[in-house]
Amino acid sequence: MKRYLTGRIGQALLVLWGAYTVTYFILYMLPGDTLAIMLSASGMEADGLSPEDLAKARTYYGLDKGLFEQYFDLLWRALHGDLGQSLSLGRPVTTLLAERLPQTLALAGTAIVLSLLAGVGLAYLTAYLQWRPLKTALARLPSLGFSVPVFWMGLLLIQVFAFALGWLPATGSQGLASLVLPAITLAIPSAAVYAQVLQRGFQGVWQEPYITTAFAKGLSRAQVQARHGLRNAALPLLTLVGLQVGNTVSGAVLVETIFSRNGVGRLAQEAVLRQDIPVVLAIVAVSAAAFVLVNLIVDLLYPYLDPRITHTAKVS
Amino acid sequence: MQTQLSPVLAGEEASTGKTIPIKDHPMPPLHRLFAIGALALALTACSPDDGSTAGKTLSVAFWGDNTTLVSVDPFQVYWLEHRVLLRNVAESLTDQDPDNGRIIPWLAKSWEVSADALSYTFHLRQDVTFSNGERFDAHAVKSAFDSNKAFATQLPATFGATYLAGYDHAEVIDDFTVRLVLSRPNAGFLQATSTTNLAILAPASYQLSAQERSLGKIIGTGPFTLEHYTPEVGARLVKRADYAWPSANMRNQGPAHVDAVDISYIPEESVRNGLFLQGKADILWPRNPFSEVDLKLFQSKGATIQSRSLPGPALNLYPNTRNQRLLGDRQVRLALQKAIDRTSYAHTVYNAEFPVVSGVYDVTTPYFKPQASKLAYDPKGAEQLLDAAGWHKGEDGYRHKNGQRLTLRYNLTPAESAGDVLVQDQLRKVGIDLKLNVLTRAEWVAGNAAGNYDLTSTYMTRADPIILQTILDPRAANSATVATNTYEPQTLAKAQALFDSGITATADPQRAQAYGQLQDLLTDEASAFPLYERVWQAATAPRVKDFRWTAEGFALFSDIQVGQP
Repeated sequence: MKRYLTGRIGQALLVLWGAYTVTYFILYMLPGDTLAIMLSASGMEADGLSPEDLAKARTYYGLDKGLFEQYFDLLWRALHGDLGQSLSLGRPVTTLLAERLPQTLALAGTAIVLSLLAGVGLAYLTAYLQWRPLKTALARLPSLGFSVPVFWMGLLLIQVFAFALGWLPATGSQGLASLVLPAITLAIPSAAVYAQVLQRGFQGVWQEPYITTAFAKGLSRAQVQARHGLRNAALPLLTLVGLQVGNTVSGAVLVETIFSRNGVGRLAQEAVLRQDIPVVLAIVAVSAAAFVLVNLIVDLLYPYLDPRITHTAKVS
Repeated sequence: MQTQLSPVLAGEEASTGKTIPIKDHPMPPLHRLFAIGALALALTACSPDDGSTAGKTLSVAFWGDNTTLVSVDPFQVYWLEHRVLLRNVAESLTDQDPDNGRIIPWLAKSWEVSADALSYTFHLRQDVTFSNGERFDAHAVKSAFDSNKAFATQLPATFGATYLAGYDHAEVIDDFTVRLVLSRPNAGFLQATSTTNLAILAPASYQLSAQERSLGKIIGTGPFTLEHYTPEVGARLVKRADYAWPSANMRNQGPAHVDAVDISYIPEESVRNGLFLQGKADILWPRNPFSEVDLKLFQSKGATIQSRSLPGPALNLYPNTRNQRLLGDRQVRLALQKAIDRTSYAHTVYNAEFPVVSGVYDVTTPYFKPQASKLAYDPKGAEQLLDAAGWHKGEDGYRHKNGQRLTLRYNLTPAESAGDVLVQDQLRKVGIDLKLNVLTRAEWVAGNAAGNYDLTSTYMTRADPIILQTILDPRAANSATVATNTYEPQTLAKAQALFDSGITATADPQRAQAYGQLQDLLTDEASAFPLYERVWQAATAPRVKDFRWTAEGFALFSDIQVGQP
């Protein structure tokens, strides 16, 4: 177990370093250079300046280092907890993240909880119901859930719950009320995936001999589904939750824009557009760390939830 | 200093009467039940803008914030929305009359300009204080100008540098008299002293770093103080109770009528519009003019549409005439000029009342010279010119010459507009193939610098014709490549001579002549293709009274009254 854990942590670090490095070089390969964008943002373009002025501007924005020099510099400082300065915001990236991350964590956390509740609830209900037409209708619902675009769903929810009914605010990142609509918007596609997978899981499990045994013991349908059905059908969900964490971060880009929320998703998108390398790198590192961590936890949970799985067999 | 200026479009089309129903649902028992559970806390929490002080707070919804250069430091800011905010926080030595472009007193009671136009002596008001209690005096003015100059030396690309052009040093004559000395003539300097970019901040503000100022540490003498600025979210201005030194442009000579102004940046259009229609924003103020559908909707809710052409160049396309590009042929450029139907642009992209662009500048720019007859839609004339230039229509409906199709590459960012597609269609009718080349901002900048385009577009806002130098004079332009490429070599020399005579002129008629000839030159040589008048529109709710524009196209929040409609 210890050996497995060490191996996995090593792997995780490698993934982190890989994500960081690949992002850095991709940003460097994008057309247009950061200095030109910064200058154009302050109303000037690089070709309008003399070489001396250009050099001055380059120094001012800290862009006077070479490709590899800057990479190692950034990496070295990142290892020491210093994620550098944002070029356009002129502030330490750690401060920015400290400011923005809670917003996105709250949004993503709520969305993951909501999607699990809704996804598991829907699949559970579908499995429990015996009236064919309703069962079929509920089984079709998930495909609708993930085929509706997130931005459209967000606008629809705003129209109905913020503008028509006036129950919840349409924009902002203050208070719990402003979290409800964006979290629901973000939760719907994930919920649909969970529901679909769990519905299939129930279908498979229902045919298993131990279900017949459970019925033979004299348990009611509800008891069989809760004790024997769900526990066996739900295992694939665990893997999915790990993967959905990544989707939630990318979904936050859209949701935060629609609801004018001030989170990491929007920061990431804007930082990419203006080639604010330290900011993008920090966001990638943090998201990759979160992704790796959640998936590590998921893997470690498996043996406890399903005693048939042991890690030692895999590594030895 | 400045002379005639065409009448502006301020405050047109007021329609009042209907009120916007403000939703105020008491929560029915059923909903209360529903709320118990996961959403209980969420639903009972009140949204922050439902406060009881709403009657005295003005809320303004702009489009998304500038995320590339995050700054509300007056000297660095080119973003129009930030300049609106700053106009109400920081004030300038002079002001500009929005009706006739004349420079009028503000923080300076009077001034003298030396005969060589190199030294400007300002006599300052003696009753002005900064919001931190510091006295406004000659030392403060000197510290502001010197700090700006130092910043421009450090970062020559900064926007304010173009306003400060030629500034050498300041001399404090006595506590309330200051002389600003230029090292080379700058006929636009007096106008520059009226702009937000050269607003005077408290000496304490300049003790801070430019980055701290950028994030909202701005101390000015204006009727409001900037309580906070949160990039991409919003800002809050709070009234100064002791304010008493407005310029003659302001109707309200005392403290502001409203207690506070809440500014929010809402990137998503439908959400922004919805907030306004819900009564949650008093002023809806996006960058682009409203579509006809939105306009009708707002008016039907009792909103007033405020419009004013932004001073500076119109929305022009600039050609690349160099390196054997197709637009190097003057005939082709003139044909392009004739093939654009500006009337239908204004009326179909916007609405029937939308002004048709009539020159390379917007009408609110001092020394504007109309060119309407030269910009008339004449597809027949365009076809004749193209035929004469050897471009003949092929089977595909487009023109060809020596096996090459007449394809023009128009670089634009971040997305094409309805207007771009309309122009593409208009040009197709005369056989020109306009490629809408949609790029990210980074690619667009690189494309401009490399001259990899046939047409490109950019704009700047300032109520002085000098602003065109930042686009079209290679010696001062943001992009020297774009500025050079727009002219054929022999025209460039003429244009530069006219820019020089405009900036060194000391008398009005000389400036009028120089900039008049420049506008003629740009149209005659088809070095600029005006598409539309850059009209800035804001929708104000029925409860908002006395919205008025400044010469730069900003608003004076201190004049605005909010009441019950």
